[in-house]
Amino acid sequence: MNNAVFSVARYGVRLGTRSEGERARLDLIAALAALPPAGRLVVSLDGVEVLSGSFADEAIGKALQLLVAGAYGDRTMILRAPSADRTEDLSDKLEQRKLAMLCVIDGAWSIVGRLAAPLRETLARVIERGTVTGKDLAETLGIPANTCHNRIRRLVDLRLVRAEETGATAPQTQYRFHAIWRPGD
Amino acid sequence: MAFGLGIETAEEIVDAVAARGVERLDLRAVPFIDPYALILLVLAVRERRAAGRPLAILWPEAPAVRRWMTAMGFLEAVRDKGGAGRPARGPSSALQPIVEIGDEAGVGRIVEGFDRRLEERYPLGPPARRRLVGVMLELCQNIPQHANATGEVAAPYGVAAMQDYAESLVLAIADNGIGLAGSLALREDRPAMDDEAAIRAAVIEGWSRFADPGRGRELQKIVGTVRAWEGTVVVRSGGALLYQSDRGGDLYRVPRFPGVQIALRIPRRVFGVDDLAPEPETVFNPFDE
Repeated sequence: MNNAVFSVARYGVRLGTRSEGERARLDLIAALAALPPAGRLVVSLDGVEVLSGSFADEAIGKALQLLVAGAYGDRTMILRAPSADRTEDLSDKLEQRKLAMLCVIDGAWSIVGRLAAPLRETLARVIERGTVTGKDLAETLGIPANTCHNRIRRLVDLRLVRAEETGATAPQTQYRFHAIWRPGD
Repeated sequence: MAFGLGIETAEEIVDAVAARGVERLDLRAVPFIDPYALILLVLAVRERRAAGRPLAILWPEAPAVRRWMTAMGFLEAVRDKGGAGRPARGPSSALQPIVEIGDEAGVGRIVEGFDRRLEERYPLGPPARRRLVGVMLELCQNIPQHANATGEVAAPYGVAAMQDYAESLVLAIADNGIGLAGSLALREDRPAMDDEAAIRAAVIEGWSRFADPGRGRELQKIVGTVRAWEGTVVVRSGGALLYQSDRGGDLYRVPRFPGVQIALRIPRRVFGVDDLAPEPETVFNPFDE
């Protein structure tokens, strides 16, 4: 996986205002655009003591909105934080935007923002397996294929899972689904 | 006035200033003033001067109150725009003297100063301190972002101050801007509202003047945070005031005053520092619970 790390601490330890967040967003989307296809940007909060909702929304929330809208293809973005309290205000802002982001704290993942319990369950299975097909995933979860398809499409739309065409097209295009983070990454 | 001026009683200042014919405010018998009352005084003096009806203040006779007001930079703050934020004189028991909030670019530096002073007094660095710094960032940037959003205020400014007491810490922030109703009126998709409805919309429902779904809810969250800490919040805008404490609260009609004024009283225990003694001159706050 092609990774890059974007350190938010470069803008200070107490962040901050909307105008500061806007400047950070320009750098963040430049870093996203510079990733190769299917690349992953790790947004690191290491070294940040305070992340206000305004800065977080302007820098990360709006960048994620663009990513989810498809502006950067199948690139993905995850969050790395030193503790959960650094992500609380960002989580509220993502919830307002109906977005979610995978967050890694001390090697364990969680979600900041809003993600329904069935989608979390599905995401957990994808992360466990690393790569799955829709059929495998439906069997693992014990749910109908259509239900599983709807869940996984939503996760792909939110850029929490990456879809890759398998090359098989009958009776319709087939996909493999990749976790965007795995334990040990 | 012969009583302490704090979150619960500071309205007396606005009442007195709003009364016709009042040319001086007699504070000689006032035994205590907190940061919220202090910045209301600053706004009152400056607004009356701007309106061509100067307001004289009879200085408190209690030496501790006089020293504290001096240390908080009151004299500098009432003089002119830009006066607040100059070094305060005299012995300082002041946690954070009055600072003037101008453009958004200066907010980071102001909050850094608040955080530095908090760190000196509360060196343990708990999540509550980080949370409070986040609250300050949101409150301070609201002033350049909203207080003069229509451009109609001739000389917009904001001020903030903070002080700790035996049981609590009081943070106050105020501006002379268009108020919550004026700011929310910029939303074309929302009905016009009076001051009470605007406070309800901003604080209870989390509205913003922006349609962007990521905007708004900051005041709502701040009030929720302080309530979760069992603290007290006052949000005053135009002719309405919201008072919320751990025992409940309500919206009140009050005399009209320009801008938005906010006070937070936070129990010291949320910072995990019950055992640290505050500065002797400010040890008594009659409003501490």
